[in-house]
Amino acid sequence: MLSPERRPSMAERRPSFFNSTGPNANPLIVPHLAGIEDPLPETTPEKVDVLIVGSGMVESVLAAALSWQGSTVLHIDKNDYYGDTSATLTVDQIKRWVDQINNGSIPFYENAKLYVSTLIGSGKYASKDFGIDLSPKILFTKSDLLSILVKSRVHQYLEFQSLSNFHTYENDSFEKLTNTKQEIFADQKLPLMTKRNLMKFIKFVLNWDKEPEIWKPYANRSMAEFLVEKFRLEKPQVFELLFSIGLCYNIDTKVPEALQRIRRYLSSFDVYGPFPVLYSKYGGAGELSQGFCRSAAVGGATYKLNEKLVSYNPTTNVALFSDGSKVNVVEKVIMSPTQISEDSKNVPKQPYQIHRLTCIVEKDCSTWFSEGESAAIVVFPPGSLKSGNKQVVQAFILGSGSECCPSGTCIWYLSTTEQGVRAELDLDAALEAMELSIIRETSTDIGDDEDIVQFGSNGQTLINSVKLGKSFKEYVPREKLQFLFKLYYTQRTSTPPFEVVDPTLFNVNKDTEKFDPEASDNGVLYTSMPSAEISYDEVVTAAKVLYEKIVGSDDDFFDIDFEDEDDLPGSSQDYENAIEDDDEDMGIDKSESAEFVGEMEI
Amino acid sequence: MLQFKLVLLGDSSVGKSSIVHRFVKDSFDELRESTIGAAFLAQTIKIKDTETQEDIDIKFEIWDTAGQERYKSLAPMYYRNANAALVVYDLTQKNSLSKAMSWVDELKSKVGDEDLVIYLVGNKLDLCDNVENRGGKEQEEEENKRVVTTQEADSYAKDQGLLFAEISAKTGQGVKEVFQTIGEKLYEIKKPELLAKKNREYGRNSSEAVDINIQRPNTNDPTSCCS
Repeated sequence: MLSPERRPSMAERRPSFFNSTGPNANPLIVPHLAGIEDPLPETTPEKVDVLIVGSGMVESVLAAALSWQGSTVLHIDKNDYYGDTSATLTVDQIKRWVDQINNGSIPFYENAKLYVSTLIGSGKYASKDFGIDLSPKILFTKSDLLSILVKSRVHQYLEFQSLSNFHTYENDSFEKLTNTKQEIFADQKLPLMTKRNLMKFIKFVLNWDKEPEIWKPYANRSMAEFLVEKFRLEKPQVFELLFSIGLCYNIDTKVPEALQRIRRYLSSFDVYGPFPVLYSKYGGAGELSQGFCRSAAVGGATYKLNEKLVSYNPTTNVALFSDGSKVNVVEKVIMSPTQISEDSKNVPKQPYQIHRLTCIVEKDCSTWFSEGESAAIVVFPPGSLKSGNKQVVQAFILGSGSECCPSGTCIWYLSTTEQGVRAELDLDAALEAMELSIIRETSTDIGDDEDIVQFGSNGQTLINSVKLGKSFKEYVPREKLQFLFKLYYTQRTSTPPFEVVDPTLFNVNKDTEKFDPEASDNGVLYTSMPSAEISYDEVVTAAKVLYEKIVGSDDDFFDIDFEDEDDLPGSSQDYENAIEDDDEDMGIDKSESAEFVGEMEI
Repeated sequence: MLQFKLVLLGDSSVGKSSIVHRFVKDSFDELRESTIGAAFLAQTIKIKDTETQEDIDIKFEIWDTAGQERYKSLAPMYYRNANAALVVYDLTQKNSLSKAMSWVDELKSKVGDEDLVIYLVGNKLDLCDNVENRGGKEQEEEENKRVVTTQEADSYAKDQGLLFAEISAKTGQGVKEVFQTIGEKLYEIKKPELLAKKNREYGRNSSEAVDINIQRPNTNDPTSCCS
């Protein structure tokens, strides 16, 4: 049963703690050598506060938050690897994963098709030379997740690199983004008037929520209209702002959402250097998940991979596992939809599709990267592709400096929020555009597509592979790009494109009368599948909502401070969630900020 | 200052944590160099360059398993870029050496670095033998809990090319020496590489991606500048 009162936190249970628990209470001080000071319990716990099933990003952040808060956590995953929907996998692991999708053992993924060149495995590359993300993500330097990474010190387990090149694909070429004031001024191509208008807009957007007079009249209209009518910007600037800087999905994006997203980019710029975004080496969300799980373990959580929840009985609070063991769960069972047990009947609907295409090419693609960097974002705005795309296709390019692929190769992650069959056409068109572009930009390469073999000796995979093989060969021009790996898949999610998780999703049916006696998952609280969002922005929001459901309040979410000599230089507390703020929601009237619009004059 | 990542392996309750505890907290406490376990523990030792007699600081970044070994649930992150490993067994536990052996295998399959220094460590020496140090014979028979012989572990270690020692985290016997030996060994192995790197530093390879230290945000505040 969910206790109506907050449980004492780890700090409160320490004898030295005599502080109030209000929001202004001192953060919990974790003693030097915590986690290794007390011997760990020898056996599986018989009783835990929270059972978390699935080790994806949100679940892992939640596990760490709860452990440091003082809850006992048992965290399991049915897979033999960490990360679940956020995992970073080797090529061999991807092969297994694709088979599992196609035989139906991983729900909410479908239509997986895979090619692996014989060069991987039996050729010059090994499976484990590659780390392929199932949900590739970038990290804005001014974001709530980054603050939590620093506060929890999980960042010390990770290595980060910068990403500053955002390209917009337009008229068959990649335009590099002009994103700094200096660049705007220096840009020879921009007319003076446009420069002035652009600067005006940038000045406004950094404090847009304080100037409702400017945008409120446009609140229900599209950002594109707002930029054209109010700021007299022209299509190239509108597209850059919306799609490259804002990373919006389509031209209809509403004003408040777009403003929030554009500011996210601009306010992240120059926090750690002249770039807005970071990514973690060796893999993205998969690495971060491992880091948060390790943090949770240090905080006392118990970890068990290869373990599946068979059933949970909300009346007796007993959770039963596939290895026959049992645990008594005092408060809540949290489960990822991909980890469902048989006879699960309460999984939320996942109506939206995210289509992904992940390729590994034998080319370093360094022409797309900024100097000293090894990654780039390429955005294909609506209407820029041969397929007449209505939704944006986003591509995240990772070179070998990320240690996710060997030298001389590069990973291309393409994705779109387009639904249905159109999506794959858009992805193919974007891939073709990238392929032509990289071939044009670099010296000719001798490719040999005889090396490309289909993978999958059984059922669905094979049929799909053959179909795919034909269309693929048609696309490749004579001066070929060597593809080492190609993976298509569709992931489902409950989160509509553009939104962060819907908190009502977590309103679990607590009414025992409504329990389905046949169901194995009564009373289980499901997490959301990853959304299409290319940044980590939804993660903390989702973890916080779940945390509040369990603890009763999110006041002490990662409210920890580690006792240390060389204290961290103040990591700013005023972070914001770029998409959704907890209390000051973007569309809500803010009458108190009725300042005059003097800012409009430059 | 050279920095190396050191991981601990071995079954639960063989005393991995107490070895680190002893090493980090006891011997170098006054330096207050150790950082907290939420990330990992850090401890610095000094070694001597055998040729130049120069003092070299070696900083260990020590990763404890945090219990994730119990169900074989250690993440790839744990092993990544490890330079040295302590594989610990319990001198007073019957299967403990064979379990340590399987950790050695696991380690060799997970860590890419061929120069990985593995130290096989038998812990809880304080519960074992040493007739000379004991009083009456009756007492010794009661207290000697050793079940793994020195010879058995030593020959395995020699066979596998591992360093080997029997220690006691409780009394501190041999603990310091283990880390000292690892430091010296790592320095010896990495020295040529380090020298080569030093010479290359001037003409930095531009294709090498630059890592960002996110701990210290870049501010425009001139007072925060280290000049």
